[in-house]
Amino acid sequence: MSRLQLKNVSKRWGSFVGVDNFDLDIADQEFLVLLGPSGCGKSTTMRMIAGLESVTEGEIWLGEKMVNKLDPKDRDISMVFQSYGLYPNLTVYENIRFPLRVRKVPKEQHREMVMKAIEMVELEEFMDRRPAELSGGQRQRVALGRAIVRKPTVFLMDEPLSNLDAKLRVSTRAQIKNLQSKLKVTTVYVTHDQIEAMTLAERVVVMNSGRIQQVGTPTDIYNDPANTFVASFIGSPAMNLVEGKLQDGLFKGPGIRVEGLPKHASGNVTLGFRAEDAEIVPSGGQIAAPMYSIELLGEASMITWRIGAGLVSVKTNKDYRAEIGDVVEARIPAEICHLFDTASGERIKT
Amino acid sequence: MSNPATKKPMPLVALSIAFIVIWLMIAAFPFLWTMWGSFKVEGDFFSRADWMNAITGPATQLQTGGRFTLEGYYGAWVEQAFWRNALNTLIVVVFTVLISLTLGTLGGYALARSGFKYTFWILMAALVFRAMPHVTLVSGYLLPFFELNIWGHLTTTIVVLVAINQPFTLWMLHSFFLSIPKDLDEAAMVDGCTRFQAFRLAVIPVMWPGVITTGLFSFLLAYNDFTVTAMLLSEENTTMVPQIDSFLGSTQEKGKVMYAVAAVVSAILPLFLLILFFQRQIVSGLTAGAVKG
Amino acid sequence: MPHKTFLAFIWPSLFAMILFIAIPIVSVGFQSLYVEHEQIMIEAENCGPFGCNSEVRVDREAMEQLREEQPAGRFHGLGTYTNPSHLAIDDIREIVATSENFGEIRNRIMNLPFYKALIFTLAYTFIVTPLVIVLGFIIAVVVNSIPNVLKGPVIFFSLLPMIVTPLVGSLVLFWMINSRGILGAALQSIFGDPTLSLTASPALTWVTLFVYGVWHSAPFAFVVFYAGLQTVPRDTLESAMVDGANRLERIRFVVIPYLLPLATFIGLMQLMDNFRIFEPIIGFSAAASATSLSYLIYNDLRLSDTPLFGSAAATSMLTIVGVLILLTPVLRRNWREFNRKPS
Repeated sequence: MSRLQLKNVSKRWGSFVGVDNFDLDIADQEFLVLLGPSGCGKSTTMRMIAGLESVTEGEIWLGEKMVNKLDPKDRDISMVFQSYGLYPNLTVYENIRFPLRVRKVPKEQHREMVMKAIEMVELEEFMDRRPAELSGGQRQRVALGRAIVRKPTVFLMDEPLSNLDAKLRVSTRAQIKNLQSKLKVTTVYVTHDQIEAMTLAERVVVMNSGRIQQVGTPTDIYNDPANTFVASFIGSPAMNLVEGKLQDGLFKGPGIRVEGLPKHASGNVTLGFRAEDAEIVPSGGQIAAPMYSIELLGEASMITWRIGAGLVSVKTNKDYRAEIGDVVEARIPAEICHLFDTASGERIKT
Repeated sequence: MSNPATKKPMPLVALSIAFIVIWLMIAAFPFLWTMWGSFKVEGDFFSRADWMNAITGPATQLQTGGRFTLEGYYGAWVEQAFWRNALNTLIVVVFTVLISLTLGTLGGYALARSGFKYTFWILMAALVFRAMPHVTLVSGYLLPFFELNIWGHLTTTIVVLVAINQPFTLWMLHSFFLSIPKDLDEAAMVDGCTRFQAFRLAVIPVMWPGVITTGLFSFLLAYNDFTVTAMLLSEENTTMVPQIDSFLGSTQEKGKVMYAVAAVVSAILPLFLLILFFQRQIVSGLTAGAVKG
Repeated sequence: MPHKTFLAFIWPSLFAMILFIAIPIVSVGFQSLYVEHEQIMIEAENCGPFGCNSEVRVDREAMEQLREEQPAGRFHGLGTYTNPSHLAIDDIREIVATSENFGEIRNRIMNLPFYKALIFTLAYTFIVTPLVIVLGFIIAVVVNSIPNVLKGPVIFFSLLPMIVTPLVGSLVLFWMINSRGILGAALQSIFGDPTLSLTASPALTWVTLFVYGVWHSAPFAFVVFYAGLQTVPRDTLESAMVDGANRLERIRFVVIPYLLPLATFIGLMQLMDNFRIFEPIIGFSAAASATSLSYLIYNDLRLSDTPLFGSAAATSMLTIVGVLILLTPVLRRNWREFNRKPS
């Protein structure tokens, strides 16, 4: 069993809080993604799991063992680094063999294990090259190969795709997903890219300023964001958020009125809806305002208004035509709306 | 490279060339002159009559029958046994460099990788130590060394030179280690290394250029040292630089000054070769500290 | 990195520095409070065929024994610091009281060994350092503009004065400016004065040493600036050109501000190195006209019959105070920068 538990884990440097009370149970063979903006504590959390950073408070359990005091080498994990951490003086083959060498795996098994890993990451032709002679994607695969050459209890991946170009990122993403399901190893994956998180994860942990904001499946997080932070972080484009007042099921904001919302809440609220859920209508819309911009995205067009201090966008079909400054209206039915308390940012449950 | 930013008007080019030529004269001429002169006799190198004598060498012709003479070198190396001093220098320098680098890489690595506050204090203390005039430190050694009866030995001098150069070595290696990504040693530790294995197997193989550059500088510090070697070595253990100084004391005798000239040229030669082969490393080393501020 | 690992890596280096730098400084402070034992005299009767006469001489045995017991000498408190060969408090008081004008005060203070050395050391430090920075910068800018093929050899020869052992370098120059050397002779014929000697007058000796200092250190500044010039952002230079700046304005508004931190670095290194100027004084045999603090210490330890540990230690302590004063701005700046960083 390689279940990974973090029990109320915190990391502080002096008065600076890096990770605050992180509590999570990661099941065997799960693919978990830590998602958040840079500096939110996701990498620190992962480095604590790896043992590269000491834990200020709380406990980390790997299987049936508390590992807080163990050195990285004694934790039986493997990790892929953002800049790969390849040994520049060693060949691809030797790089991948390195963990076996230092872990004193019997010599006669090396060749077979390394070749298997090299096959899985498709680097057969580059075996004798050094990292400097490889492309970014190939280096990334060496790092991956080094991580899978032995079967660890947990894989850790720290933004492994962030140094690749957009096209390569998509194919490598698929490769990682495929490898993980073949190897059946518990995986923790850190990223700031929500698309990576959505496509890879079984469960996503959204973090901000050291705290967990929401834990759930990608669908959960997309459909039911727990607060305005998650709402504004997930989705492309992110959820539209408009501040206003709610009374008797009627939301009023600058240039926007939505009726038929739940009646049990009132006062200052933030209304959220997704650009793809609303639609442009000729008249009778909940938004009626001069258009700020129109952008062609390819499969659709995006209409944007300036509402209050922010921008609100709605997707429409790609043939829609209007001039900047024309009044354009959009229908925003109550069913697609999410309500958040403006002061706390928390979701108002319906 | 014909973009307007790099194109220059003719007068400016001429001026630059003239300036460079003058600077090169100032920088290099004294050495070339002394090297040339070391193959002459004193009457030519220090000619009262005509400075051209140092080039043409009439007195050399007269006294030795040739245009060049090795008298100075013979006097210094054979008669005055300068080879013994050269040997001492070799021993001191080799051991100082090796020990300095060993201690320095370990310490510099620790300073570059630990994020705790005390690293700052250690670096600052090292900066203050580096600024201490060596002679003030030596004045602290003499009495205890006399008492302990360890004064005058090569070993003592090596240990002292290692310690005195340690602040410099630490700073330089520290900044080289900072330029190596942390990912490298962390990857090694996750792969199953202890900290020391990560240092030895993953970091050091990448560090060679930095270690070599630092080694060059600790070579220079040890080779060029006068203060420590002059005060801590006994007569028979003395190295080249203090020996040159003591040649000067005996140069009142005619001809002996050429021993000193020959010895000086002999001492410059290794440095000449050093720059010839390691120019790039020296330049990178001088700037290593600067880049990090 | 945990404390234990850190210590495991750094202890040899730390141990060496504490044992041979920190403790000697403390030991110097301790020694500076002691002076050599007074001579123990005994009277001996010398009887010969022509009667007896008594003679006073040093009792060697008693002295040996005393040295054995108290190797550091006898306790003298701060006496060494205030005596005429160091701070000379009494002499200064007397000079100030009895002199008529400022010029006389200055001249008489300049005759006190410590002040003479201090003033030369400071003059050397604060004259040579800026000159080194300026000359180094000019060389760097010019070398940067010459064709690439020439850069290598030019850098090679430029490095020579810096790399060469200070004592050796100063000797090489000394032999040239010697009245029988090529430069000395040339100067004599230029000025038509056969007795002209750069080493004879104090003023000329000072100038010679300053020139040596600049010659020795300019390559360092040159190399650092030269490397800095390679990293001046091209974009900024080009946008300055688009904005209409001429060559000089580009140097003035783009290059110099960019290289300023390097100038600070060079300045710091030079202050530290120049403050301990020592070897050139020996190389140029200049001790009669110019001495430095380091030279005073060397002189106390080496050139007298028995090493004057107390006197050398007192000068050392005063020198250390000087170094600390010199370093204060640097340490303060580092401290501020360090506090600004998180973690």
